[in-house]
Amino acid sequence: MTRRNGRAEPARIFLRPPSVLAVLTALATITVTVTSPAAAHHVGSYVPRDNAVTTNFKQVKFSVQAKKYDVALQLFDAGALRAEMRAHAAALPPGLEDGTRAALTAGDGPEVERRLMIFFAALSRDLALEADRQIARPEATAEVRAATGRKFLEAIWRYYNLVDFAVATRDNKTSVAVRLAFDEAESYVKPAAGGAAPPDPAGIREPLQRIAQALSTLIDASSPSSTTPRRNS
Amino acid sequence: MTEADSPTWRVPPRWVLLVAVLSIVAAEVGGGSMARFKVELTRWARDGMLARPGVHGLVGVRDVDERILDEALVKFDAGLRLFHMHAEGMGLVIIATAMVAATVIRHDAARRAIIALLTTGGAGYPLGYLLWSALIPSYGLERSKAIAEWLVWVPFGTATIVALWCLVGFVALRMIRPKS
Repeated sequence: MTRRNGRAEPARIFLRPPSVLAVLTALATITVTVTSPAAAHHVGSYVPRDNAVTTNFKQVKFSVQAKKYDVALQLFDAGALRAEMRAHAAALPPGLEDGTRAALTAGDGPEVERRLMIFFAALSRDLALEADRQIARPEATAEVRAATGRKFLEAIWRYYNLVDFAVATRDNKTSVAVRLAFDEAESYVKPAAGGAAPPDPAGIREPLQRIAQALSTLIDASSPSSTTPRRNS
Repeated sequence: MTEADSPTWRVPPRWVLLVAVLSIVAAEVGGGSMARFKVELTRWARDGMLARPGVHGLVGVRDVDERILDEALVKFDAGLRLFHMHAEGMGLVIIATAMVAATVIRHDAARRAIIALLTTGGAGYPLGYLLWSALIPSYGLERSKAIAEWLVWVPFGTATIVALWCLVGFVALRMIRPKS
């Protein structure tokens, strides 16, 4: 190995001489590619997924819509929906689970939809009540109240959104009331300009209570013992 | 034209190649471990998060918490995947760019500095993703990201970017003044 300028001559590979223009193009490509993620520190994105209950609800709903009641019954019997109904039995109208199963066995699609609407309305109502309770804690700071409010609203909407159409077709005033209260609640926990905590996150309590009240009324009016739907024009 | 003057590719220093190969090996081992120990890793991260509910903003209601845990676990997994991907890619980038630097830059100090920056920056940057993943259960998504950014991504990423732009400059200079 020869020496030049007092340093060891590096090993060489005798390939075709590099075209400087080609090397410059390749380097520019690498530079731009490396620079972009380095500047943004790309860490992936998250798309919220269905949980076991909402997944099972969609399976049952689509089977019912396709009039495959035997499939819907199997999915209901083996799925998270029924397990969740049992777990929340104390907070639900009596006989909701048995009635849903009976409606599936009888191939009564509208009745299945009504009972599932009651179930998700009850889940949403319970979340609204729990959110109100947690936000009312005196030791909670504004940031904690806002963060808690946002998380609960997301969970409430995930469930309520599944049955909003069913609610609207039976009791459109309740549907509108819930959505308006939801929008108002969101405005109380939305971060202020510059990412600061919202000025009055405790204000979310009032719309949360309205959501819980509206859904309780809906559940009472639509529960299996009640036969007259409240349809408003 | 003698052999010494002919414009041929020059191999970068051995330590550079060693670092690049180690980076690729670490990427492969990381990728393999992610698949082999997926359940154990997820369980470890989940247990770590459940042990620090305040850090992750858990509220004690399953319907709310499962969404928070799911996001953190998805990001934890994404961090491991991004480490695998970046370590593999940056290993190759180190080899390619260090080879160009060894071939094109004739000034000793500049060549050594740029090769050192390319190598340390390229090998260090992917470790930020590993650090980010490892810190998520203890510090939460945002705080762990900030730690990884300031400890790893910013210094090592900057080193790579600065070195690459310098290298582009040297290559451009070579085009303008071939004998320089």
